[in-house]
Amino acid sequence: MTRRIAQIFGRGGELNPRNMRLGMWAWLVQRISGLALVLFVIAHVLAISQANLALTGPLFTMFDGLRNPFWAVNRTVLVIDLLMLGIIAFHGMNGIRIVLFDVGVGVGLRSQKVVFYILIAIGVVASGLIIFYGLPLLGGT
Amino acid sequence: MTAVLLVVVLGVHLWLANFGQASASLRAILGVILLGLALFHGLNGVRTVILDFNVGIQGRKFTTVMLLLLGAASFLFGLHGLWPLIIGG
Repeated sequence: MTRRIAQIFGRGGELNPRNMRLGMWAWLVQRISGLALVLFVIAHVLAISQANLALTGPLFTMFDGLRNPFWAVNRTVLVIDLLMLGIIAFHGMNGIRIVLFDVGVGVGLRSQKVVFYILIAIGVVASGLIIFYGLPLLGGT
Repeated sequence: MTAVLLVVVLGVHLWLANFGQASASLRAILGVILLGLALFHGLNGVRTVILDFNVGIQGRKFTTVMLLLLGAASFLFGLHGLWPLIIGG
């Protein structure tokens, strides 16, 4: 096990940051963001559903804070929501790049990077629009 | 497939959560679709990540069954949350 970890992260290892290029970073962040999103989705589902069950306790108070409206006024929840919005945007846009790659769009070494940056830019703009228009709308509620 | 559908349905979900207005039935249908898609896509992704660690045949079966159970439980719990919307309450 230790040997395997050293193999992966050590000199010449595929997950050694010095050897990683854009595609590998995208792959790694895609996996980590995916795992974070699974936790978020389950917490989101629990948060909404527990309201109907009217359960009480500290855990459910936390879930209650995560409940819709999406932009809750609680500052911690807002930070989590903004973080999740960023993660969703990255995961979704990089996912589109992977689908495009599978159908033969942006397969070249250079075009892969171009497609990646274009899609990330679209994700940033879309997130910006949601923050710009969504935040003031619900900030007062 | 689920990834592409998720991008579309999640986009609509985020839009409706912030600006849009839709009938209860449309929101209920979207909610159930999104719930199923997100759970399947997410837990299938977790399965892929775990299976990449060479967990063996028994480990593969165990992982699949446990994630299926987690997914089914979460789906039912989510349905419960959406229930007022589904029955139009």
